[in-house]
Amino acid sequence: MGNKYGLIDPADPAFRDESEVALATLVSATAGSSKKIGAKMIVGRSGRIIGGVTIGGCVDAQVVEAADALFDKDDAERRLLSISLDDDEAWEIGLTCGGTLEVLLTRVDLGATDDSTVVAHREAMELLSAGESAAIVTPIDSGAGAYAVPTDEIGDTSPSERTFIDRIAPPLTLVIVGAGQIAMSLTRMARELDMRTVIVDGRDRYATRERFPEADDVLVGMPSEIVAAIDANRRTAVLLLAHDYKYELPVLRDILRKPVGYIGMLGSKKRGAAMRDLLHDEGFTDEELARVHTPIGLDLGGKAPAEVALSILSEIVAVYSGKRA
Amino acid sequence: MTGGTYRRVVIELFRHPKNRGPLHDAAASAEGANPLCGDRIRVELGGDRSRVTEARFTADACALCIASASLLTERIRGMSAEDALRVDTAWLFASLEGEPPAARRKCAILPLDTLRRAVVALPLA
Repeated sequence: MGNKYGLIDPADPAFRDESEVALATLVSATAGSSKKIGAKMIVGRSGRIIGGVTIGGCVDAQVVEAADALFDKDDAERRLLSISLDDDEAWEIGLTCGGTLEVLLTRVDLGATDDSTVVAHREAMELLSAGESAAIVTPIDSGAGAYAVPTDEIGDTSPSERTFIDRIAPPLTLVIVGAGQIAMSLTRMARELDMRTVIVDGRDRYATRERFPEADDVLVGMPSEIVAAIDANRRTAVLLLAHDYKYELPVLRDILRKPVGYIGMLGSKKRGAAMRDLLHDEGFTDEELARVHTPIGLDLGGKAPAEVALSILSEIVAVYSGKRA
Repeated sequence: MTGGTYRRVVIELFRHPKNRGPLHDAAASAEGANPLCGDRIRVELGGDRSRVTEARFTADACALCIASASLLTERIRGMSAEDALRVDTAWLFASLEGEPPAARRKCAILPLDTLRRAVVALPLA
């Protein structure tokens, strides 16, 4: 939605011919909501719908209706929707989640360079592009303008009213070492999950644009040096898919001491244990070595490259969602 | 090359290679790769054609390739370029205590080819 950070950029071709949009943001949920707090949907004045605040259709439909109503009122800039999930009929037959959602609806004038939402999103984008994390702070009750701050300055804000703080996380970057078939499937699926992919291999016949048209980067060279040069952080996942110790060992020597959020290695438990033993002998601690997920991926039972890719992405989603260490 | 010897010499040098790591301010360097198996190596040398004062390598490579690079860089330190270029596969295989299987010869020879190119790139004395 919008761009890789999920922010509104009026220059985005997705907003062509759109003079204004309503930005809907899920700001609270009292029950098992379908999406994370902060989920967004953009409703264009022309009828365009991008994203969604829930998985299902009924709540999003109410948000679209409310957005259309907002456009019809010249002076309305913002509205907080409280949406009950307790549909009587659905409740009767046991097919409702129950609870209440709050969705903040903000009208955004895409043509106005001083629109507070446009400005806040642009400033957040600038922070993220500079490698900083960002948050957009939106006062809910007063209707005062939203603004962007670096995430580490959130504590400096002392809101006197209900305020929604939307932390914008940069996309996950998957550094994939080994340009084989699993990697090919994985880059395609990762795109659907809004993850960046970087393919790394020492073999220029494998790591090609033709084989990896969906990858953000395809890098050929000494894999350990390429990976060492990547600015790795918690939002970086390193996937060792070459199934070859000549790449795995030197890459692990580097990344085990970096704050990456996920390390996975293709191979059996026995092979993983042997790799840990080798690195343990070189001075790596049990705690450091425990960070390597091997066998990589959740055990879904599949063996085909695409099935293995799915299991790897499932594990990564689980890890970054806090469902798996 | 017997299995037992292969394991002892090559594995020992793979786990404890000599001269592994970059050489800062190298006078000459060369890179080589085996395009299908993926071995990659860089050899960096110090000195000039009259004397190789330092030889180091960086590699993401198999045990045989690492062992070969370790032996070769150790061997040519102190040699003239002319003598270094005379180091051949016969010496290398003898040092590895046996000729590698045909399918693995390229792993052992890659460091030798790369080292020779680095030697040729050394400046004149």
